[in-house]
Amino acid sequence: MSDFWVLAMKEIKNLLRDKKLVFGLIIVPLVIYPALGKTMQMGIEKAQGTTHVAIVNLDSGRYGEVLVKALQSTPNVSVVVLNATTLEEAIREASLKKQNVLVVIPANFSESIESGNPATVEVFGIFWKITSGIKESVSEARINTVISVLSEEIARIKVAKLGAKNPDAVLHPVRAVSMSVVKGRIINVPPAVVSSVLASQAYGLPLIVFLMVTITAQMAAGAIASEKENKTLETLLTLPVRRTTIVASKISGTALMGLIASLAYMIGLKSYIGSMGFQTGVSPETLGLEMTPTGMFLFALVIFLTIVFSLSLAMVLAVFAEDVQSANTVVSSVILPLAFPAFVLMFTDLEELPAMAKYGLLADPFTHPIVAYRYALGAEYGQLMWSALYLGIIAGATLYLTARIFSSEKLLTAKISWGKRKR
Amino acid sequence: MLEIPEGEWGKNTTAVKVENLEKDYGKVKALKGITFEVREGEIFGLIGPNGAGKSTTLKILATLLRPSGGRAEVFGHDVVNDADKVRGIISYLPEEAGAYKNLTGLEYLQFMARLYAKDEAKAREMVELGIKIADLGERIRDKVSTYSKGMTRKLLLARALMVMPRLAILDEPASGLDIINAYTIRKTIKRFAGEKGVTFLISSHNMLEVEFLCDRVALINEGRIIEIGTPKELKEKYSAENLEEVFMKAIGAGV
Repeated sequence: MSDFWVLAMKEIKNLLRDKKLVFGLIIVPLVIYPALGKTMQMGIEKAQGTTHVAIVNLDSGRYGEVLVKALQSTPNVSVVVLNATTLEEAIREASLKKQNVLVVIPANFSESIESGNPATVEVFGIFWKITSGIKESVSEARINTVISVLSEEIARIKVAKLGAKNPDAVLHPVRAVSMSVVKGRIINVPPAVVSSVLASQAYGLPLIVFLMVTITAQMAAGAIASEKENKTLETLLTLPVRRTTIVASKISGTALMGLIASLAYMIGLKSYIGSMGFQTGVSPETLGLEMTPTGMFLFALVIFLTIVFSLSLAMVLAVFAEDVQSANTVVSSVILPLAFPAFVLMFTDLEELPAMAKYGLLADPFTHPIVAYRYALGAEYGQLMWSALYLGIIAGATLYLTARIFSSEKLLTAKISWGKRKR
Repeated sequence: MLEIPEGEWGKNTTAVKVENLEKDYGKVKALKGITFEVREGEIFGLIGPNGAGKSTTLKILATLLRPSGGRAEVFGHDVVNDADKVRGIISYLPEEAGAYKNLTGLEYLQFMARLYAKDEAKAREMVELGIKIADLGERIRDKVSTYSKGMTRKLLLARALMVMPRLAILDEPASGLDIINAYTIRKTIKRFAGEKGVTFLISSHNMLEVEFLCDRVALINEGRIIEIGTPKELKEKYSAENLEEVFMKAIGAGV
């Protein structure tokens, strides 16, 4: 085995055996996020269970009766007809029977419809305990649907009575058929759906890049700082191993762990977001936004270079910290502000920004993975290559700096202690 | 009984050559121009109080720090310009050191052996020797995080010696060890030097330890060497009973 492998294997073994690290980076995203999502889903499903509706029918005509029947035959709705004579009495009774919604059909309901005036139905959501209110709002939405179906039905009958040949055309004289044009191609998908697909990409990616960068940076910094904290650094630096090999093995070891952790986060977050009903059933591919092998390769290259940059930057910063705690503080205070501007791209496109802001963002290496993803989807390889070139230079320079610092005595003499001092 | 593999080094060579060595930490002058030589196969002791410059000297020779002035060589290799070559023939034990907590003692020795040995057979040989020196019994298979301070120190010493360096630089080798362990370790060091010709450069503020162990010593105080010689010579020169007294007389303090 070469020195590089011996060192990298040790690095990985040491990280994998760190219970705190494995718990925080792999167990939490893979178990806790999906569990959170499941819990939320259960809450939503429970709210979407049977709606308990209390009805007071003060109307003596036939339309009131029709509405009660329509609600009774609606799925997932259980109807309790109250014999109250006033509103107050009805509310008291509905609350006692723990109903979510109270529907009041007024006395003049049928009369209004028959005389050609709009009729009113009063719908009360009853909050007898202060909870999330999902149940009440779901119930209200269901009743409103029933009422609008009923009102459409009544309208159709009325229009037909007036002698129209096609009551539907009278009720809906204009109909909109919505489609989208994506990169010059017409797609039979409404714009709202397209934009929600694009939005899920726009929200998801910066978040994942952000997590990936911060997690791997913290780990790289930890790998150096723990050598200082556990007093293993001096021995390591006197071993018959080239300093560049030490740097390379540390970067590779932590990068591998970082990738595993990011993968775990991606899977965990996807199932979490998925359970919130963010899925539209339309994939970017059906919109003609597909990554070619070239695009995929260039995108992967950009991601790789970003990770190399953030890892070597974190290692340089960790050199100045005495223990893991201060290393984390130093790294967070430098990497987080660098990674944060990329969030602007959640809400806007680079091209829509003023020139200053645009180039400012482009100078930040952490913007590039997000921009690169869009370029890769749009098959704009020239732009991708510029990103890769820029990141290559920046990552190379930081890597060189890291190797230089490791060859000097800075590693042993540079000291900043943030927070608690150990000695 | 510990069996030490055959060493490959001859005697009568200069192992360490230090000339006018200076080191500044910002405004603080830790070394103010020290000069000494260590011959191959010798156990050489640097003794002096805390802050005298012992550790700084050892760190420069271990290629960890760069001198601010003067020069230092290990078997003819400059510690600054030929640092890689120096690292190949030395092994350094820092005063305050630890091992990787999440590895077992055995894994730690295996990891280190693989970095020194050229092939797997040689690495296995080193690890076997290391296990014997460490003398931790079955605990060698436990994680380092479960070790006491003394056990960790024994593991680290085993690491430093099992690789059969030409020069072993040990900063306070017995620090944190109880009487029995310290005694055993000193015996091991003596045998490595005597039978295998491994050169030792040791620092200590335990004068008794140094007297038992070292062929020659240098007394160091405030960044300067004030005396060099065998313990016997120095005791005669200052008509002192032990090195402690020698040191006090040499720095001009009343005894």
